[in-house]
Amino acid sequence: MDNNQYTSRATANWRQMLDKKRRVGIVGIPPLSVISFLHQSSIAIDDLDAMLIKADLEMVTTYLPRVYCAILRTVVLNAIHLKLDAVIIDVGPGKCDAAFHVATILEESLDIPVIRTENRDNHAFGTPIAQGRLPLQEKLLRITEGVKSPQAAPNPPEPFPASAGFWGVPPRDFSILELFPDTTHVYGWSRCMENKTPADADLEAYFNPEIPTVFFAQSFCAKTALARYLASRHPHGLYLDVDVHTGNSARAKIEAFLELSGGGQ
Amino acid sequence: MILGDFGTSYCKFLDTDQAEAKPTIVATKELSPDLKIDLATGHNGKRFANQYVNELIALARGGEALIKEKNFLLLDCGSRDIKFVQYADGKLKDMGWNAECGASMGFTIELLEKYYDLDFTTLNVPATTFSVTCGVLGMSHIFDAVISGVPVAEAVSRFVKGIAINAYRFANSPKKIYLSGGLCDNPLFVASLPCEVVPLGRFVLLEGLQLTLAMNQGS
Repeated sequence: MDNNQYTSRATANWRQMLDKKRRVGIVGIPPLSVISFLHQSSIAIDDLDAMLIKADLEMVTTYLPRVYCAILRTVVLNAIHLKLDAVIIDVGPGKCDAAFHVATILEESLDIPVIRTENRDNHAFGTPIAQGRLPLQEKLLRITEGVKSPQAAPNPPEPFPASAGFWGVPPRDFSILELFPDTTHVYGWSRCMENKTPADADLEAYFNPEIPTVFFAQSFCAKTALARYLASRHPHGLYLDVDVHTGNSARAKIEAFLELSGGGQ
Repeated sequence: MILGDFGTSYCKFLDTDQAEAKPTIVATKELSPDLKIDLATGHNGKRFANQYVNELIALARGGEALIKEKNFLLLDCGSRDIKFVQYADGKLKDMGWNAECGASMGFTIELLEKYYDLDFTTLNVPATTFSVTCGVLGMSHIFDAVISGVPVAEAVSRFVKGIAINAYRFANSPKKIYLSGGLCDNPLFVASLPCEVVPLGRFVLLEGLQLTLAMNQGS
């Protein structure tokens, strides 16, 4: 075998594995072909990256180290509590290696099929929500909700000039988003999510140097390196990482940054 | 108006209605629970005041009021945490607030001073240092060193130098630091910072509140 030959991590027979399934959990952004298939087959979708249940995150320590990405710890918490028929987890360049390892752990721990995908979709759906005028929490909710749909988001807001930027993944703790003005534009992987191109590294690294921008990453996520690097390149960038909950110092940093750099208008 | 900076160990107050008024300091544990002032900052300040300004904003405004340079780094070392603001060309460039890994450094220094009956004005900066990431973890270094025969004053000096270097690195290792907070009065700590240091004292956040007040009244 050619050593340079690309070996896919994706599950080949995913269609058969989803036969007669009623409810699946997704992790990351599975390819459009998979999402479309789920819709055509009327299979309900739960986004396991989101906080779907109120159980204690400490329950996950049986499966994952305590010091680990809070999003993936949430994924496992959801997966062990929800009554799912299968889990579809993206392990391609649009997600992360940590998800690849979590897929293995879920496969060993759950009695349901775990389907690995590699999303390399490159058809751009556009990013009107990221650039519209809406409370930032609502923007991120709509963007994350859009992951479950094969269509572009309905009723997108009108474009609006930005006064501030939020770069990064949708945070586990959405309360952090309350601190930003409605005129905040969304960048980073969240923008890739809306565009349905999660592996678009150029789009992920894009920012607007004219507006003060918070470069956010979940603690213990590989994206902390990119967030910090881009913040250092941005003329008015603030790097911020947060673990499970947004502490007072993180909130104060955002509040002070937006006020002192004129981004809170 | 009464302005207040509510720190973990000490609170600082200023009455702006009194001409030539000077700030006063009250130990936090001696505060009346019924105290109510006009404008506050500090982690403990919200419940004592009608209006509140977060500590980083107060620190930044204090720097704007006191430092007549367009490029500066202002580091505040308190009892419980360390925080900094960095300005370039007169604009905010970076900031940080370490309340977890920088926890209780100032508090621990004061605790050690009292426990070992030390006078920090007489201690020299040691040649070596402990690797200190927080006050609590640093204590065990001191005890280990003392058990191994290192004099108490030397062990505590290494600890103080360790936290000074930790604070310096947290502030991105600048060439010059404007220092705020109670540790300005600790010559061992100031001398242990491996760069030029300009101590501004413990009322920088009150200066920030005064500037905030002036900006609010002007708008």
